[in-house]
Amino acid sequence: MKHGFLIYFFLSSFIATAQERFSISGAIKDLNNGETLLGATVYLEGTTYGTVTNEYGFFSLTAPKGNYTLIVSYVGYETITQQVVLDKDQTLHFELNEASTALNEVVIVAQESEVTSIREPQMSVAKLNAQTIKEMPAVLGEVDVIKSIQMLPGVTNNGEGSAGFHVRGGAADQNLVLLDEAIIYNTSHFFGFFSVFNADAIKNIKLYKGDIPAKYGGRVSSVLDVRQKDGNSKKFSLSGGIGLISSRLAAESPLFNEKGSFLVAGRASYAHLFMPAIENLKDDKISFYDLNLKTNYQLNQNNRLYLSGYFGRDVFNLSKVIKNNYGNATGNLRWNHVFNDRLFSNLSLIYSKYDYRIILDFVELDWIADIKNYNVKYDLGYYVNNNLKVDLGVSGIYYNLNPGEVKPTSETSGINYLKLDEKRAFEGALYISAEHQLTDKLALNYGLRYSNFSRLGGQNLATYVDNKPVVYNNQLEIYERGDVESETHYGKGETIKNYGYLEPRIGLSYQMNESSSIKASYTRSTQYLHLLSNTSSVTPLDVWTPSGEYIKPQISDQFAIGYYKQLKDNAYTLELETYYKQIDNRIDYIDGSSLIGNNNIETEILNGEARAYGVEVLIRKNRGTFTGWLAYTLSKSEQRTLGGNAGGPGINGGSWYNTPYDRTHDISLTGVYKLNEKWSLSSNFIFQTGRPVTYPNGQYEYEGLSIASYGDRNSNRLPAYHRLDVSAIYKPNKHPERRWKSEWVFGIYNVYNRQNAASISFGQNESTGLNEATQISIFGIIPSVTYNFKF
Amino acid sequence: MKKITILLIGLVSVLFSCEEVIDVELQDGPVRLVIEASLDWEKGTVGNDQIIKLRTSTPYFDTQTDTSVTGASVEVINLDTNEVFVFQDQNNGNYTTDAFVPILNNTYQLTVIYNGEVYQGTETLLLAPDINTINQSIEDGFDDENLEVNVYFDDPEDEENYYLLKYYEEGDLLSSLEDVSDEFVNGNEIHDFYEKEDDEDSGEEAFVPGDVVEITLYAISERYYNYIKILNEQTDSGDPFSTTPVQIRGNCVNQTNQNNYAFGYFRVTQYVKEVYTFE
Repeated sequence: MKHGFLIYFFLSSFIATAQERFSISGAIKDLNNGETLLGATVYLEGTTYGTVTNEYGFFSLTAPKGNYTLIVSYVGYETITQQVVLDKDQTLHFELNEASTALNEVVIVAQESEVTSIREPQMSVAKLNAQTIKEMPAVLGEVDVIKSIQMLPGVTNNGEGSAGFHVRGGAADQNLVLLDEAIIYNTSHFFGFFSVFNADAIKNIKLYKGDIPAKYGGRVSSVLDVRQKDGNSKKFSLSGGIGLISSRLAAESPLFNEKGSFLVAGRASYAHLFMPAIENLKDDKISFYDLNLKTNYQLNQNNRLYLSGYFGRDVFNLSKVIKNNYGNATGNLRWNHVFNDRLFSNLSLIYSKYDYRIILDFVELDWIADIKNYNVKYDLGYYVNNNLKVDLGVSGIYYNLNPGEVKPTSETSGINYLKLDEKRAFEGALYISAEHQLTDKLALNYGLRYSNFSRLGGQNLATYVDNKPVVYNNQLEIYERGDVESETHYGKGETIKNYGYLEPRIGLSYQMNESSSIKASYTRSTQYLHLLSNTSSVTPLDVWTPSGEYIKPQISDQFAIGYYKQLKDNAYTLELETYYKQIDNRIDYIDGSSLIGNNNIETEILNGEARAYGVEVLIRKNRGTFTGWLAYTLSKSEQRTLGGNAGGPGINGGSWYNTPYDRTHDISLTGVYKLNEKWSLSSNFIFQTGRPVTYPNGQYEYEGLSIASYGDRNSNRLPAYHRLDVSAIYKPNKHPERRWKSEWVFGIYNVYNRQNAASISFGQNESTGLNEATQISIFGIIPSVTYNFKF
Repeated sequence: MKKITILLIGLVSVLFSCEEVIDVELQDGPVRLVIEASLDWEKGTVGNDQIIKLRTSTPYFDTQTDTSVTGASVEVINLDTNEVFVFQDQNNGNYTTDAFVPILNNTYQLTVIYNGEVYQGTETLLLAPDINTINQSIEDGFDDENLEVNVYFDDPEDEENYYLLKYYEEGDLLSSLEDVSDEFVNGNEIHDFYEKEDDEDSGEEAFVPGDVVEITLYAISERYYNYIKILNEQTDSGDPFSTTPVQIRGNCVNQTNQNNYAFGYFRVTQYVKEVYTFE
């Protein structure tokens, strides 16, 4: 019956095309730098025929034969109006000029035109462009993509100085983070203080918190799709900045007679240059850098090649004791091919790697671990007619994980050489999805993704007594590691374990009137890779592990409904969403688990489940000298880990407990006020319920020490987190005719110097022997100044 | 890994952080019996004199309560020889014997009867290795300006071994515990070190020549290693890089009412002890 409906939808749209119809297709770019514009609107005035450009700036629009006024618009740009006679299929390219305000700095948050944003069935998506991100106040003046998305409803972090972000109560490893389609395994520099995305190289970001399109898969919580700029294809330009922590430089230029262009952007911290001068820090080195590259070449009207890459590195040496470096490297070669004005394709070959190395001098140990993947992807976009767009594609990812190789650093080292088993896996996926305008008011998004995961051989696999890697000790009431019964060798050609899942994705929107709509969606997604971390903060040392015999894939089902309203001719928008998410096979760790250097991770974990639900409200002011938004989230996120095969009640006595990412209330307020041509002011305010933690509920003396006893897991909370940031941007702009443009950004982070608790630790004072609670807070009030230029 | 954690926190605090002692309201959990039954036998001695301490737990910040438990019955049986050792109530929470007979690789069982409930635990006595060398250095360790003491001992290759090292500087209030397993160093000479640093907040002072430090090396069971490892991880827990704290469960099981479990541990170990004076 379900299939019957689908067939009906398809047929009905084909029947509707029976009258004579023609298509207009083409690409939309920025007139000044040739950057393709994503999400620009193209529609025929006075009709409901309209569309938006895809991620390559491509559009295709089909309408009945006739004379029309075509309107091309994009926020922050001048609108193009053109008469078209639609009597044949035609290709039209457009180049939009930036809106005439002197410096294009009025931030207008809503990117899509009135018609599409509430009409599109896509929901639970948040978009920010690089300009918006740059205008938000940032800690130490370092513009940060990850921190800026945390201002959106449903997105939080785990406190200052913690890596990653959490979407709708999900864990950091449940976010698929893509930089030009390549997976980024660690999004942070400096252990989470800054993110790996250099805002100078970023065109825009899209965060899917739910209703994830069928073309994405592999993570159960969200997709953060970050796109790099293509590079200026009109003229050479140079931009950069000098901040307190890092400096940046980006060069862009046309290539081969404007048939191509490139972007090279670099960013490096330079605090370490001063460290030798400080007595306490003279042997230390803490630094990071990253490099972004993108280039493209238009072979002809219908074929274009893109090459993009990223390389980032963190180095952190603490005297001679510890030497540590880690980073991501990615590369992507893409071929865009336009078959005709309705059929568009993209082939991508993607490589991505994350590795870390740590040398511990005091134990003479050298540790290396990495994760690599090779990905081939082919996507087709078919604009069947104006009411139906079909996407389909196929993807294959080969993973190679090296969880750790330990080497002694000297002859005298007590360390034995150890190499943990390398792990291999293949993740294949097929998808088809359709965006379907059923009636004037009702639109549907429906898709199906099939994913298949094979854990490949080339390693030994332990089998356990009674098939129990973890055993519950009934007497002592603790979980203990199971005993290995035997080891089976799997050859490289063999498959250890195979999983396959169908992942339906359905979304619906109903336009109630000109200015409001309701939407609903259901998404099922599967995650085969898991980040092992039993600490409250993700660290660079955490190890990714694939699903297999003992670790099952995580499966999530998310339901969401939303209400969208435009007020005062779209000067204000209101978005209201509520969601419920259920995740199966979320792992948690037995008490005293030891994850590092462990070849048999399955002896440390239990399979559990998680659920999260909440309400999100977003009110935005989109136009005028004052723009900004207020986001409020009321939510709950909890998990439960039963004993299962291992026996016993499970973790926390088998009861539900808060995940570390549970925040009851989360309020974010962000605003930009454009004072005049030279000055604009911006501000952030954040209030969040404190992070769930476990506090002692008693103490006893043992070995002459005071030992804390603990109650239920995550049943206490840190004090609420709140802070206010302000910044001012000053553009001297004395000579508007000159190419050289500059700006100063003055910022104050945490204006009222709130000492937000990053953690509260409990211990005994060494001199008094008394128990005390010590709060660590990381950023107090921090002023900053940054100078940016553009040439 | 605790050492790496310390370093990570060190890094963060070098950068920006601010530490302050604060008041926190805590809930009080149930009061439980605490059994500190550490039958430790110094290698080369007879090991007859042993103490078992019984106390109760208290609220976390409580300093007033007299926690000593009197009126309990305490005895240990050697399950290999069936010899029974009865511990005498000293009416101050201590229960003592001067007749204990330690035998390597024998298994002992503790029975405590308190308030009509029976608590039992078992443990096997393992051979402790000798300490090969003890020396001092400045350059090694975490800080290349602070003195540390280095301890070297041989790990047998044929089995998994677990050790507890206790460092205690004369005059200090608290000692420092280190859990060591041979996981990465099986069959090798194991090196461990102890270094202190100047810290105004905690009152800790780095070693100076003339300081005397007592070093005790215990051979312990795998289960006790798991226990002491969690205990070590959790002393001073709660920083952003630490694991979620959990209730530490020992091996003394309440046979009468399993829910009313006891804290502490029944361990039987052999140990070697050296005293080192910094030069």
